[in-house]
Amino acid sequence: MENALVSVSLILFLLMLLAGGIWIGLSLLGVAIAGMFFFSTRPIGDPMAIVIWDHAASWTLTALPLFIWMGEILLRTKVTKSMFSGLTPWVNWMPGRLLHVNTVGCTIFAAVCGSSAATCATIGKLTIPELRRRGYPDKIVVGSLAGPATLGLLIPPSITMIIYGVSADVSVTKLFVAGILPGMILATMFIMYTAGWSAMNARLVPTLELRQGLWWRFYEGRHLLPILGLILLVIGTIYSGVATPTEAAAIGVVGSLALSAADRTLNWKNFVEGVAGATRLFAMIALILAGSAFMTLAMGYIGLPRHLASWITGLNLSPPVLILLLTVLYAILGCFLEGVAIIVLTVAIILPTIQAVGLDLIWFGIFVVVVVEMAQITPPVGINLFIIQGLSGLPLEKVSLYVLPYFLIMLVMIALIYLFPEIVLWLPSQV
Amino acid sequence: QAETKWDLPNSLSPNNFLTGVTEEFAADVKESTGGKLVITVHPGGSLFRQNQIKRAVQTGQVQMGDILLSSYSNEDPIFGVDSLPFLTSSYKDAWKLYQASKPALQKRMAEAGAMVVYAGPLPPQALYAKDPITKAADAKGLKWRAYSPLTSRLAELLGAQPVTIMSSELSQAMATGAVHAFITSSGTGYDTKVFEHFKYVYDTEAWVPKNLMLMNKAAFDALDKPTQDALLAAADRAEKKAWKISEEKHAWYIKELAANGMTVAPPSPQLKGELVAIGKQMTEEWLKTAGPDGKAILDAYAKQ
Amino acid sequence: MRRVLDGIYAVSAALAGLFLVGVFAMVMASIVSRAVGVYIPGTDAYAGYCMAASGFLALAPTLRRGGHIRVELFLQHLSPARRLAWERVCGVIGCAIAGFLAWYSIRLAWQSRLFNDVSQGADATPLWIPQIGMAAGCVILAIALAEIVIAPVLAHKPATDEHASIVD
Ligand code: NA
Ligand code: NA
Repeated sequence: MENALVSVSLILFLLMLLAGGIWIGLSLLGVAIAGMFFFSTRPIGDPMAIVIWDHAASWTLTALPLFIWMGEILLRTKVTKSMFSGLTPWVNWMPGRLLHVNTVGCTIFAAVCGSSAATCATIGKLTIPELRRRGYPDKIVVGSLAGPATLGLLIPPSITMIIYGVSADVSVTKLFVAGILPGMILATMFIMYTAGWSAMNARLVPTLELRQGLWWRFYEGRHLLPILGLILLVIGTIYSGVATPTEAAAIGVVGSLALSAADRTLNWKNFVEGVAGATRLFAMIALILAGSAFMTLAMGYIGLPRHLASWITGLNLSPPVLILLLTVLYAILGCFLEGVAIIVLTVAIILPTIQAVGLDLIWFGIFVVVVVEMAQITPPVGINLFIIQGLSGLPLEKVSLYVLPYFLIMLVMIALIYLFPEIVLWLPSQV
Repeated sequence: QAETKWDLPNSLSPNNFLTGVTEEFAADVKESTGGKLVITVHPGGSLFRQNQIKRAVQTGQVQMGDILLSSYSNEDPIFGVDSLPFLTSSYKDAWKLYQASKPALQKRMAEAGAMVVYAGPLPPQALYAKDPITKAADAKGLKWRAYSPLTSRLAELLGAQPVTIMSSELSQAMATGAVHAFITSSGTGYDTKVFEHFKYVYDTEAWVPKNLMLMNKAAFDALDKPTQDALLAAADRAEKKAWKISEEKHAWYIKELAANGMTVAPPSPQLKGELVAIGKQMTEEWLKTAGPDGKAILDAYAKQ
Repeated sequence: MRRVLDGIYAVSAALAGLFLVGVFAMVMASIVSRAVGVYIPGTDAYAGYCMAASGFLALAPTLRRGGHIRVELFLQHLSPARRLAWERVCGVIGCAIAGFLAWYSIRLAWQSRLFNDVSQGADATPLWIPQIGMAAGCVILAIALAEIVIAPVLAHKPATDEHASIVD
């Protein structure tokens, strides 16, 4: 009863602030401050400053501003445009055509980057203006970016898996391997949906008259070499041990600067504008992350996620009902909390129950990652939604609506891995 | 009667044995105070992360919290006494050193408005390596993970190259060869699944790091006398349990590392001799920074 | 007054940019030093400090460019005059929250100095130094929000323009 009162009043307050037009990061801070004030006897300001500092200066986050900068540099080169012209002959036969650059780009970038926010910001920065310029409708441009961008977490490397692996005492390496197949299946489903939508709305998708023939495709494909080279450089430094996955973002910056120098777009003006653009986009995300860091602390003090999780574990449910209820719980928590926060606040309580009903912890890890991915795209608090709002200028409610089909696909994915756990467990068992 | 609610953040993983001891301690306190004092444990850095817990306790943001003592050695060299290599090489020695250093620790924590409730030892430090290391010369040029001034000094004295790898990326760094060797607790070695990448572990028992349970002094003073007594009695029981379980766990971890395919061995006599010599040098260097209090601890330890 | 404030935002933005390059420099130092076998202690921590400084110092300049996102569902239904008034309300609430954060960020740095709070990594930096960046950034953000109360800037240009600015 008390829990219900607390949750409902906090949610209402958050919705009020957001609807009133208060900046999102500040709204989160405001709700957390109010929550601590009314529902706990703890001090507010000092812990707030400490956790925000701690998150803002944490090493694992450094990849985010660097990847954002990399996107800003690439945007000012000819690389993006030539990437699109190189891909056109290859995807032109498919319904949806260049829209698939979003999904394919995100999937490949996910193999470089462990964060879905960075994946979303880097790929979106490159594809949104270009696809719009070519006349693709916002609805599908945004949806086909936001859904696949969450693959940053499921396809290794992945920060979320590292955090889960440490709390659940399972091998991070096995988790990484376990994410590959579900990641590919999810990417395929995203592509199929985008293609299906485009086939049904063919008149909305711009067409191009192109020369035919395989030779022509390869010839045009030469435009892809710079971007492929960049991706290979970053992946190569990770797997050769030259750089850790977090550090690899800096290699990405070096590579983009080199590409920029090669096509003679690297000048002082472009450099300064790139840096300025990157700091602004990063500051926008940083304010929201600061808000959600304090929200996480407030929830830790108030104990809401903990109480909900222990309530569910106390029900003695059978595995299917348990997973169903947990999906609902995480979807609801995911509306208001950031993905990693959900794991940290609930996993310690839920894991013993998961073990007791005999579910595999690697399997559960992948389940959690998919659910956390979903949290990134549910309103009112979804970091990928915010990034796309910032990149596209579309209002949050529209972005959320455009992303909905991709959210539903992820629900289907959960059903799939529940019915066929081999999707998750087969590959790690081969290693 | 009124129920007092306390928060206790901890940064160890939820299934670490010391987290278990802490949770039993909280339950013990609740029971022995007849429900007057209820402590909520927030494991796994879910409330505050490791590097913020001391400050959170000291400023009363939480009433209790446990810290990895040696990670505060930048603040005061005294906090690093339990991480001087080979000053102790068994649980028995480590306990003696703890007793010898307790007055100095209590004094410093009191100055910060905090109290030492109890200490729980993490399993001793073992040496993990990709290739066999039987003498110091084998470590020459190896990429050696360092996470603190002391561990990087140790690597330097061994002729290895200290490298910075965050613990979250350790697993990948081992797989890709970005790191070749490091010294860490047997428990951490097991938890990070070192056996998936490295083949050799030397049970050096180089030092026994401690987790220190801190309490805000003002919060303690606000309790009534029977509750205070019950709390301290429960702390005593928790401390005994922590030292006992830690030793059992260390044996278990080492056994599991072997069971997972690692070659487990004590350090060779030559390596051991070289490491002890390095330890002596580091202890002398430490004494210069730790001043008379440091000297007092070492003297008290020698007497025991 | 206008020139002083614009000067503050410009300096803050420039520093934010410098610190972003600093993050890059520190991470590169870490990669290169490991590759050539030199040990530079604390590059990871310095990268983190640079990132925090960059993020916080860019808060106010980003606000000035309309880069911080918000839900405009309600705002866009207001007449220009009402929107102007409502922007003031947002400014008051935003400034209160940012001011609260600014106050405690100053206190954080001040207490770090008082408690002799030192980084636990190999860098052993006294933490009040990098925390100044956070405090400064939050104070400037609060000032920029206070300015909206006095002179609502967002009403000068249409909403889409503000968004366009971070896409460029
Ligand atoms: Na990834
Ligand atoms: Na969400």
